Amino acid sequence: MRIALPIIAVSLAAGSIAQAREQAHLAFVACPIVQDTPTVPCWLAEYRGVTYYMGIQSDVSAEFNPPSLGHKVLVEGTITDREVCGATVIDPIKISIMPELSPECDEMRPVRKGIDLGFEPPRPPGPSNGRLAFSYPAPPPVPKPPYEPKTYVVPYDFEGMVGFRTPRVMTPALDYAQLSHAGTIEVKGYRGATLLSDGTLLKEHKGIAHERAEEIADMFRGAGLEKVKFLVTADEEAAEGGPENRRVEIKVVP
Amino acid sequence: MSRSTRSGNESRDRLLRKSNRLIAVLIPGALALFSAIALAAGPDGAPHWWAPGSGKVLPAYAVYANPDGHVGILNADGPVDTKGHPFFEPLGTNGRACVSCHQPADGMALSLGSIRQRWDETRGKDPIFAMIDGANCPNLPPDDPASHSLLLKRGLFRVALPWPPKDHAGNPIEPEFDIEVVRDPGGCNTDPQYGLTSSHPMISVYRRPRVVANLQYVTQTKFGAGPFVGKTGMPADRDPDTGKPLNMNMMADARFSTLKLQMADAAHNHLQFDKLTPEQMARIEAFERQVYSAQVDMGPGGSLIEEDGPPGLGPFNLRDGDKGVLGDNTTRWVIPMGDAWQKPKPGETPQERAMRESILRGQHIFHFRTFWIRNSMHLNTVGLGNPTKRTCATCHGMHMTGMDAVNGWMDIGTTNLPWAKEAPRNPWQTEDELMPLFKITCSRSVHPHPYYGRVIYTQDPGRALISGKCNDVGTIVMQQFRGLAARAPYFSNGSAQNLRELIDFYDRRYNIQFSEQEKVDLENFLSAL
Repeated sequence: MRIALPIIAVSLAAGSIAQAREQAHLAFVACPIVQDTPTVPCWLAEYRGVTYYMGIQSDVSAEFNPPSLGHKVLVEGTITDREVCGATVIDPIKISIMPELSPECDEMRPVRKGIDLGFEPPRPPGPSNGRLAFSYPAPPPVPKPPYEPKTYVVPYDFEGMVGFRTPRVMTPALDYAQLSHAGTIEVKGYRGATLLSDGTLLKEHKGIAHERAEEIADMFRGAGLEKVKFLVTADEEAAEGGPENRRVEIKVVP
Repeated sequence: MSRSTRSGNESRDRLLRKSNRLIAVLIPGALALFSAIALAAGPDGAPHWWAPGSGKVLPAYAVYANPDGHVGILNADGPVDTKGHPFFEPLGTNGRACVSCHQPADGMALSLGSIRQRWDETRGKDPIFAMIDGANCPNLPPDDPASHSLLLKRGLFRVALPWPPKDHAGNPIEPEFDIEVVRDPGGCNTDPQYGLTSSHPMISVYRRPRVVANLQYVTQTKFGAGPFVGKTGMPADRDPDTGKPLNMNMMADARFSTLKLQMADAAHNHLQFDKLTPEQMARIEAFERQVYSAQVDMGPGGSLIEEDGPPGLGPFNLRDGDKGVLGDNTTRWVIPMGDAWQKPKPGETPQERAMRESILRGQHIFHFRTFWIRNSMHLNTVGLGNPTKRTCATCHGMHMTGMDAVNGWMDIGTTNLPWAKEAPRNPWQTEDELMPLFKITCSRSVHPHPYYGRVIYTQDPGRALISGKCNDVGTIVMQQFRGLAARAPYFSNGSAQNLRELIDFYDRRYNIQFSEQEKVDLENFLSAL
């Protein structure tokens, strides 16, 4: 028994850690809510009686891009003990605007005393304080020969295809393909599935892995890589996990 | 204040005096250059129309009257001898030249006032009324105003585009949607020869000519021109001569993105001319790249181009301004006013003072007045959220022109229902709607349009007729803001007859709730550009 107790305690501790982790991770689909503030709006969502903070309106190149009224949002992230705009912060967070229209998602909460950001937004709603809409980090140094095969990963929103964020990955991949005179580019698409906190498994539609891979290959061709050989494949198994499973891998082979 | 500070018909002497005064402050040694500068508009009703083949010299700097004052046309490379110049000569078979639709007096575009005046003066014989695109459809009876109703009422020329769309190599693009003609008042879209069911299926849409000036800004590739379109991620057009990506901000549907491609298309489809020679293209492009257009005075409201005036106004500042710069609105405002006009100046009239204060307020509204921008494709879809709380300058962000900084097609509802201007039907209505109406049904194989769903009614599918994309339905490339007072009506479909109607459209579309004073100030600001 003296030996057994610690084992139980250990397993209890391990169980509570796992439970805590499980509780800390959250995945749900809900209507987004706009909470106006004296500066930029906060974006919130409610799930099981708790109001969560997703992020703020900023600019095109910001890490967090807000969702859309008129559509539900898939939220995947980790609960924190912080509060912004009177709501519990999810951080890190990944959101996806669900493609189908949901006109019931239409709540805009006006400015209220006591509801604020608690920090200076990087980009106010009016004049930009000098921050441009496109302030990306400096590009990495130009690769030098010998050129080796190099892999790039294009991330996707749930059920997402190419969008305004895609060039952030595509442009360096294109640059490298042109610089290294790539003869072949391997493009492999993947399909994701997200286990929601209520136990529902949300799968992307079958075929999306192939559609993604073909679209990426077409983008390269359209951007001038007409003579490159493209090997396009897809894995249509809906891999259960997080946003990382929704991706296209690009391997540039000089 | 009211808009009573607009100029009426001013005397030629007064304009000459004003012109000389302006020249004196603008150009050292101005008197020596006077021969290169002319008051080219007749305030007393003298012809301002630049007829193709007239062989006149377009001065280095010319000013032309408009309802708000005067627009200035600046040729940075000096006077242009138009005799034999391919921009000004009627090269085609229908008597038109480029200048036919890009008139100096109209800020290098074409105002509805000029179109109507030409109809009256020529009884519809002016080449701008050529049946190819100056009529609602080529097979209508010529010389009948009803055949030209879209041109005479809205300033719209017909643009016929193949359906399904084709890429630049001529290969068909499989569209993401079906298109059906719901209403066809011009008759062209249902015509067995010209319409959607013809042997070469075409869709006719009707659009305003754009400004051929300040093109160093319009065609810049310094900012926002990358291999992929910043808003959609799709590959951007590349220059066939250099292979480099283009910004695609020139035409309403971005179907061509270089001046050469645009002029080749215009020569064929508007001038009914086979082919421009490389030399002709080079001369046209050289002219187009050096001409600047902007308002230079507000009539009794005063000059906009005094030496200590706002650095964002007038064609001289456009010539000297930084091209291809996104306004950051702290050091580089979209339309910078500097420290100008902050205090009354000696000799300034009350009207001038009032107008300048109004313009300053309008500039402030443009940059600072926030409102909720909602359900606008390629604005609310590019990372700002839907809605986004922003200002006019958010979308109209390009320094000095107010254009979009990246490939700028966007749907603000000017052509898509329910926002597009439509004559409401009722038993007492006597006027039929002018514009065609199309029903777009997006394929089940793609996501629905995020704001309209799978069915969209539109007067002009815009960029979607080129890309075949459901999300592009009703998206139009935004225009530059310069010389506005010279070239009403506004929007690609001419649906705003004046700047007030334009402001009212935005007010209605985005529930901005502008006050009357804000509308007046914004109107004066826009007129001053």
